[in-house]
Amino acid sequence: MGKIPLLKEVVKLIFSKPATIQYPREETPVEPDARGRQYADLSKCIGCSLCMIECPPKAIRMEKIPEGYEVPKRNARKIYPVVDYFKCIYCYRCVTVCPTKAYIVTNEYRLASDAPVNSRELSLSTLKKVSQEPSQGEGEG
Amino acid sequence: MSSDPLEIPDVLKPIENLLKGVTIMKPGRVVALLEPSDVVKAYAALKARYGEVGLYFSTLVATDLKDEGKIRIDYYVNVLEKNQYVVLRTHVPRDDPRIESLLKEAPAALPGECEAYDLLGVVFEGNPHLRRAFFVPEEVAEKGVFPLRKDAGV
Amino acid sequence: MTEEVSKVDKVVEIPMTVEIPVGPQHPAVHEPILIKVYAEGEYVVKAEAYTGYNHRGIEKLAEKKSFYQDIFLCGRVCGICNAVHADCYVRALEHILDKEPPPRAKYLRTLAMELERLHSHMLVLAVTAEIVGFDTLFMHMMRDRELIMKAKEIVTGNRVLADYIMVGGVRRDLNSEKIDKLKKILTKVEPRIRYYWRVFEEDVTLNKRLVDVGRLTPVQVTSHGLLGPVARASGVATDSRYHDAYDAYAEVPFRIVTRKEGDCWARSLVRFEEMQVSLEICRYILNHLPEGEAVPDERRLPRRFPEGEAFTTVEAPRGELTYYVMSKGGVNPYRVKIRTPSYNNIINTVPFYVGHTIADVPTILASYDPCISCMERVTVIDLRRGTRKKVSMRDLARG
Repeated sequence: MGKIPLLKEVVKLIFSKPATIQYPREETPVEPDARGRQYADLSKCIGCSLCMIECPPKAIRMEKIPEGYEVPKRNARKIYPVVDYFKCIYCYRCVTVCPTKAYIVTNEYRLASDAPVNSRELSLSTLKKVSQEPSQGEGEG
Repeated sequence: MSSDPLEIPDVLKPIENLLKGVTIMKPGRVVALLEPSDVVKAYAALKARYGEVGLYFSTLVATDLKDEGKIRIDYYVNVLEKNQYVVLRTHVPRDDPRIESLLKEAPAALPGECEAYDLLGVVFEGNPHLRRAFFVPEEVAEKGVFPLRKDAGV
Repeated sequence: MTEEVSKVDKVVEIPMTVEIPVGPQHPAVHEPILIKVYAEGEYVVKAEAYTGYNHRGIEKLAEKKSFYQDIFLCGRVCGICNAVHADCYVRALEHILDKEPPPRAKYLRTLAMELERLHSHMLVLAVTAEIVGFDTLFMHMMRDRELIMKAKEIVTGNRVLADYIMVGGVRRDLNSEKIDKLKKILTKVEPRIRYYWRVFEEDVTLNKRLVDVGRLTPVQVTSHGLLGPVARASGVATDSRYHDAYDAYAEVPFRIVTRKEGDCWARSLVRFEEMQVSLEICRYILNHLPEGEAVPDERRLPRRFPEGEAFTTVEAPRGELTYYVMSKGGVNPYRVKIRTPSYNNIINTVPFYVGHTIADVPTILASYDPCISCMERVTVIDLRRGTRKKVSMRDLARG
């Protein structure tokens, strides 16, 4: 009969740990190579705009690198990709199509927020800032 | 890409007399070119040969060929006995796209025909369920626009 | 029909809202589908369907985006069966390009698709149990389904939307550490599935609600074009994995599962046995992965496609899914046509509700696996008194 096996199951479950994870007090186990937030490493980016062309939801815009950052010579047009995380679908097309493999991938999945977020800060943090003295540039992250 | 015009594949033998031409679509589907008025007869002949349980009607695809002034309608039939797909392909003129409905022979054609009418404007005579705004949202249907046509501007 | 109108004193309108509760990026496929059921006393005498689909917008949008962007678009038509949509579309592109993926990639694609079939079947069986009122079983099956989602995350990088398939292969590879983790998960899941199978076969409540409800004969199945487990439970042995033998299905141990009865109970049991077959296939793949490259270099893929057309079929968990892709050269496709199995299964079965009680209507609908997970509101119109009362689907299903 079907009733008896379920009874055994119920008794077993009363004495075992509940299956729900009390997020956000506990962490959910996520794989290290799950597809999370990605951003461009500007020390490798050449400003070719391929990621902008190929992005399916058109979440990437190219912007000029602001003053005060040391731009590598290979980025002739001095532009860099800014990812709008609200439009991004995390398909990683930009990651796979970049000719210099300039995208840094993480498994950061906690991306809900009130204010619009994009990758400006993260990308710019990969460049060194130009210092006021004309000798060597100072590193900044 | 088209097979020898004299050689008709085995699966099409029941409708030999109606064929205008035979081609192959990748990856190995047999395409039979027919007149619009012959489609129902062809399906009935195939059904008579393979039995009611030996085949089923799978898909109806309508494509707007604006440059040629035609709308192409494909009927995809899966013949289970031969393990092969047969495509009945026909063209209707774009200004007056009418064709006889396949509902009596294959009730499975109902959603395909309703969709082709709603999205492209092909009228299937004999189908009582044709209706605008079946799939298309109401604002678009009221304007009389057929969204999937190339000049729809949607 | 006029005499019946005066006898009919209750008209039951059933609008169903579609909610697929899985995953971050939500492809809500269908808009509310309305099945108007005319009931006399408790028995249904007539049914009509009114639908407004959403994915037609996808077909028009696909013509404006490039071939590669459409891979991601087509993978988002359905949240539950997204790997099979992407696989079908990519295989159509590979036929146009006349390119074949390497053997290791074929096996990996099959692995992703079979994992998806596992979790999709668990979902629909849990929903069937919930509709009959057996909430506990629903919760238990969902808990075990989490193991499969974890397996999918290990393989593809995401629990639900696996953007895994690309022209020429897959997008990431498996190493031996991951293979071990996957094998452990499969070992954990298999006895649970067997247990639930036994519950469905023997439990008295499920038997009374599911046996002899919604019976379909083989002739009805083929003439109305029903697909997938619905057709196989009536004895019609049709399965795209056998007809087309795409990817690795020609080499893995695979058999078509059929039953003869044709009612809701048989459909559930067909799904259980298919899960068993999927587990065997996954184990075989993990043990016999061929060597070689699986990941193509996406930067070297051609941007312009030659002229041509292709028609591919794939066995989605719900039935046979077909894609038609036509290219006239250039970067964007000329026509993409998607015909999902739920399209056929739901609209064509509307005449078959006649003769059943109202409480059976949700059960039958859930057994067709309509790719819907949350059916909500039912309006009961009492014609005599002219009042409307909103009744939830659960109360209706409980009779």
